[in-house]
Amino acid sequence: MKTYKDLPADGGSNIVGQVTQQVNRLQQRLASVRHTVAIMSGKGGVGKSSVTANLASVLGLRGHNVGVIDADINGPSIAKMMGVRGQRIDYGDDGVKPAISPLGVKVMSMDLFLKDDETPVLWESQTQKDAFTWRGTMEMSALREFLSDTEWGSLDYLLIDLPPGTDRLPNLVDLLPNLGGTVVVTIPSGVSQLVVKKSLTMAKKLLNAPVIGIVENMAAYVCADCGKTEELFPSGNTEEMASQFEVSLLGKIPFDPRISIAADEGSVFVDQYRDTPAGQTFFSITDEIRMFFESQI
Amino acid sequence: MKFLCLECNTAMEFKETTTPDQGSLTAIFECPDCFAEFAMHMNPWETQMLKSLNVQLGGRSEAAQPMEMVQSFLSQKNPNNLTSEAPVGSTEDGGKCPFASAVTEAFQEQEPTGPVWTPEALERLERVPSFVRSMAKASIEEFARENGHPEITTEVMDTARGNFGM
Ligand SMILES: Nc1ncnc2c1ncn2[C@@H]1O[C@H](COP(=O)(O)OP(=O)(O)OP(=O)(O)O)[C@@H](O)[C@H]1O
Ligand code: SF4
Ligand SMILES: [Mg+2]
Ligand SMILES: [Zn+2]
Repeated sequence: MKTYKDLPADGGSNIVGQVTQQVNRLQQRLASVRHTVAIMSGKGGVGKSSVTANLASVLGLRGHNVGVIDADINGPSIAKMMGVRGQRIDYGDDGVKPAISPLGVKVMSMDLFLKDDETPVLWESQTQKDAFTWRGTMEMSALREFLSDTEWGSLDYLLIDLPPGTDRLPNLVDLLPNLGGTVVVTIPSGVSQLVVKKSLTMAKKLLNAPVIGIVENMAAYVCADCGKTEELFPSGNTEEMASQFEVSLLGKIPFDPRISIAADEGSVFVDQYRDTPAGQTFFSITDEIRMFFESQI
Repeated sequence: MKFLCLECNTAMEFKETTTPDQGSLTAIFECPDCFAEFAMHMNPWETQMLKSLNVQLGGRSEAAQPMEMVQSFLSQKNPNNLTSEAPVGSTEDGGKCPFASAVTEAFQEQEPTGPVWTPEALERLERVPSFVRSMAKASIEEFARENGHPEITTEVMDTARGNFGM
C-alpha cells in the first residue's frame, strides 16, 4: 500500500496554498512600510489607544506618512479618537481605502465596519457559542485583512494599537515578522505594573522585535487651573521596572481630562494643546521613537 | 490528510464540496482510476475553522476580495461601506492539502474562555466613571479568572473590590 509520502502532495483542498497566498499578499503590502510599531500593555484601560492616537498625530504633525491600525478588533476605539468614525470606506484599485484623519493619518479599524457605536462585533456562525470559540481566529483573520487589504501606500510609520493582554502576541509574530518594535504602556499603580511586567516578559520572549520603551500614562494630575501636580497612583515605580527590564522610559504623560474629552470629540489633543505638559510629553515621546529608528540606520 | 483508494492503490482526488448542512460541510473525493467516490463530513468545528481562516476547500477560482472575511462574516455591518464593485483580482494556483496542519494551527489560536458578566453586574459597571471603567472591567475579569468564577455577578464584583481596596 502507498504511504502518505508516496501520494502526491496535493490532496486537492489547497488550504496551505491559500494561506501562503495570504502571507504573500501581506508581505507585498508591508514592503512599502518603513517602521511598524505595536503599542501594547498587559492591562486594559491604561491608555494604549489614546497613546497610539496621539503619537500618530504627532508623527503626522512632524511631516511623516502615518498609518494606524486598530488591532483591538473586539473593542475598537481608534476611529472615534482619530475623528474618523462614520467615514465611509470604499474599494480602491488595490484594496480598500483607509479613513483619513484631519491630520492626514490613515486609519483602519473595525469601528468603520460596524453599523453604529452600540453594535458589538459579532461574527456569523452557527451558534453564538461557536462564535465565541472562533473569535480568536476570526479576529486574527480580520487583522490580517486590515494589514494586507488596506491601501496604505508608502508609510514612514504604521502604528498598531493592540488589544489588552498577551493572548494575541503569538499571532502577531506570524502576521508581522518584521515588526520594528513595541511601546509598552503602563500606569503607575503597583497592581497594574505587575501585569505589565508579565507582558513585558512575554513581549521580549515572543516577539521578534525590541521593546522601544515604556510610556507611563496617567502619571499625575496637573490642575488646569493652577498647574499644581498631584500623584494619582503612588504605589508603582516605572523607573525601576524600566531598569529591571533594561528598556528606556520614554516619558510620563500626566492625567489630563482634556485627553479624554478630545478623544470623545474626535479632535486632536496634541494639536490643540501642544503646550500643555501632556502635549509636550507626547511630542518628546514621539521624538524618542523617531530617534530609536533613525539611530538604527 | 490524504486519501488512498485501496482497490487501485491510487491517490484519491478532491472533487467538490457541498453547501454546509446544519453547520457541517461535506467534501467529496474521487479515485481517478475506478471513479469510486466517498464523502467526508466535517464536523461544525472543522467547517467553522475553514470559515475563520477565510479559505475554501479545493481552492478558489478567483482571488479573495479585499476585506472579504470581515465583510462576509460580520453579523451587523455598516451598509454604506464597500458598496462599489471590488476590482477583479487575478487567479493563482498551487498549494497542497495538509488539512491536518491547518487544524493544528487553528488549535493554537484558540481563545481562552473569559468570564461572562451578568446583566446586573454590567449595569453596575456602567455606573463606574467612564475613564476608569475599562480598567475596572479588566481588573474584575482578571480577578474572576484567577479565582475561577466563570460568571461575574455583583457578589464577585464586591469580592474583587475588597481585594483591590477600591
Ligand atoms: N493621560 C490621560 N489623561 C486623562 N484621561 C486619559 C489619559 N489616558 C487615557 N485616558 C482616558 O482613559 C480611558 C481609557 O483610555 P484608552 O481607551 O486609551 O485605554 P486602552 O488601554 O486603549 O483601553 P482598552 O484596554 O480598553 O483598549 C479613555 O477614556 C481615555 O480618554
Ligand atoms: S489643584 Fe486642585 S485645588 Fe488647586 S486649583 Fe486645581 S483643582 Fe483646585
Ligand atoms: Mg484600546
Ligand atoms: Zn480506485
